[in-house]
Amino acid sequence: MCRHPVVGSIGAMRTNDVVTVRGLRKTYGNQVAVDGLDLDVSAGEIVGLIGANGAGKTTTVECIQGLRPPDSGTLRVLGYDPVTQSDQLRPRIGSQLQDSGLPDRLRVAEAVTLFGSRGHDGAELLDRFGLAARRRSAFGSLSGGERQRLFLVLALLNRPRLVILDELTQNLDPAARRNVWAAVREVHADGTTVLLVTHEMDEAEALCDRVVVMREGRVLDAGAPADLVDRHAATATIRFSLPDPPVPLLEQVRRLDGVWSVDRTGPRVAVRGSRRSIAHVGAALVAWESVPADLTVHIPTLEDALLGLLEDENTMGAAR
Amino acid sequence: MNSPTMRLIRAELTLLCRDPLVLTFVVAFPVVTMLIIGGAFGTAPDPAFDNTNPAHWYVASYLTVVIGAIGLVMTPVHLASYRERGVLRRFAVAGFPRWSFAVAELVTGLIMTVVACTLLLIVALPVYGLPPLHSAWRVLLALSIGAVCFVGIGVLLGSVLRSARSAQAVGLLLFFPSFLLGAGGPPPHVMGSAVRTVSGPLPLTLLTNAVREPWLGIGSATTSLIALAGITVLVTAVAARRAVL
Repeated sequence: MCRHPVVGSIGAMRTNDVVTVRGLRKTYGNQVAVDGLDLDVSAGEIVGLIGANGAGKTTTVECIQGLRPPDSGTLRVLGYDPVTQSDQLRPRIGSQLQDSGLPDRLRVAEAVTLFGSRGHDGAELLDRFGLAARRRSAFGSLSGGERQRLFLVLALLNRPRLVILDELTQNLDPAARRNVWAAVREVHADGTTVLLVTHEMDEAEALCDRVVVMREGRVLDAGAPADLVDRHAATATIRFSLPDPPVPLLEQVRRLDGVWSVDRTGPRVAVRGSRRSIAHVGAALVAWESVPADLTVHIPTLEDALLGLLEDENTMGAAR
Repeated sequence: MNSPTMRLIRAELTLLCRDPLVLTFVVAFPVVTMLIIGGAFGTAPDPAFDNTNPAHWYVASYLTVVIGAIGLVMTPVHLASYRERGVLRRFAVAGFPRWSFAVAELVTGLIMTVVACTLLLIVALPVYGLPPLHSAWRVLLALSIGAVCFVGIGVLLGSVLRSARSAQAVGLLLFFPSFLLGAGGPPPHVMGSAVRTVSGPLPLTLLTNAVREPWLGIGSATTSLIALAGITVLVTAVAARRAVL
C-alpha cells in the first residue's frame, strides 16, 4: 500500500494538487532554462506545457521528476520533494521522456516484465493499447506508433497517479498520432493525472483541460485552450463569394452579434468576428437564401493564440 | 527474487546473449584464436615459454582474453549505446534504485566471464588438455580481481565515451594491443625490450601474469597481482560513481 507523506511547506497548495511548483529556476552555465516558474496540476487534469523548442518545458518536467536538481524554488509532487525524496517519488510516476528508448533486442513482453514492479505481465494494458499480438516482437522491429504505445503501457504499468508524457507523438504519422491520443484519453478517463509536454498545438488543443504557455523559461499565460484562444486569437473569419451581394444582406451581417467587420472586394466577402458570429452569419445567409458554394470559415486555434501571445510579448518587449 | 536489480540482471543477461558483438568477441574470438595459436607452437616444452607446454601456456593465457574482451569491448559499447539511446534515463525515471545498474553490470560481466571461460576450457580440454593448477587459489583470486577490474574499466570507458561507435572504436584500439602484447600474442621472452617495457604495466598483462604463472608453476606473480588489485580499487571506485542512475 502506498503511503503519501504530509505535504510540506508550500502554503498555498490545494488539497487535490498533484504537482505544485513555486519559483522554479534552473540554469545550465550562463543559459537560463527555467526562470521563476509557478505551476499547479490538480488531480485528474490533463495539463499541457507548450512553447517553442528551448522554452524550458523538458527541464521543468525533469525537475518535477527529480532527474535534475533546481537551482532554486520549491517543488512538491504527489506530496514528495523531488530533490530529497526522488527514490520514493519516481516509482509513483509514469513517465515517457523525450529522447529515451529501449534496447533494440528487448521484446515487448520482456520490457513489461522489466519495468513492472508489481510482478504482473501487463497483458490487459498490452491488449488495451493494441500490442497483445506484438508481445514477442523486439523493440527494434516496432513502428513509431507501436513504440509510443509501448512507452504508454510502461508508463502505466505500476498504476501511477501522475503520468508525464514528453513529446509523445513526435515523428509519428497522423494515424499513429490519433491512436496515441485515443490512448491518452483512455488514461485520463481512468482518473490519472497527465502532464503533457508538447510543441504540437493541435495535440494540446485536442487533449488538454488546461495549457501553460512557456517562453524562455517563464509562463506567459495559462488556461483552458478555448480561453487562451479567446484571449489571444479571438478573430474568426468567414469568406464567401456572391455574384452580386445584396447591400441589405451585408448591412444585416454587419449588425450581427459578434461581427466586427465586413469587407467586400467584388464578389468576395470577408466577415471577421468572434467565434459566436459564425452561427449568426450562417443563419443570415440561409435566411436570405444566399448560401454560397465556396464558404470557408477560419476558426482561430491554439496555434493562432500562441502566435498572438508571442506577438504581444514581442511588442511589449520592444516597448520596454 | 523480483527486485528491480534482479529484473535488470535477468534482462541484461538475455540481451547480452542476443548481441552478436558479445557472441563474437567474448565467446567465439578467444576460443578460435586459442585453438589456432595453441597449435602453432606444438606441445613440447619450450624455453621461450618458460619450459612449459606452449599449448598449455596459451590455454592459461586465453582466460584473460575473455576478461579483456568483456572489459574493453563488450561493456563500454553496451553502456555507451544505452546512454546514447536514452535507456539509462528510462531506467532512472522508472524508479530503478540508483545503484541497480552498476550492480547489474558487475554481475552480468562476472557471469559472462564464468560462462565464456568455462566454454574455452571445455573446448581446450579434448584438443590440448588442461594444464595442472599449481596454485588454484592464486589463479582464482587473480581471475576474480581481474574480472572486477575489467568490468570497472569497461563501465568507466562506457560512461566517458558518448556513442556506441566511439566506444567500439576506442575499445578495439585498446583491446588488440593489450591482447597481442599481454595475453594472446608472442611470449614476453621473444619480445624486444622496448615492447616488453610497454606491455609490462598494461592491466591485461598484469592479469595474464597473475593467472598464468601460478597456474603453470613458473612463479607467483605477486607483484602483478598487487598492482592489478590497486588498479581495481581505483577503477571500481570511479566506475561505481559514474554508473549511478
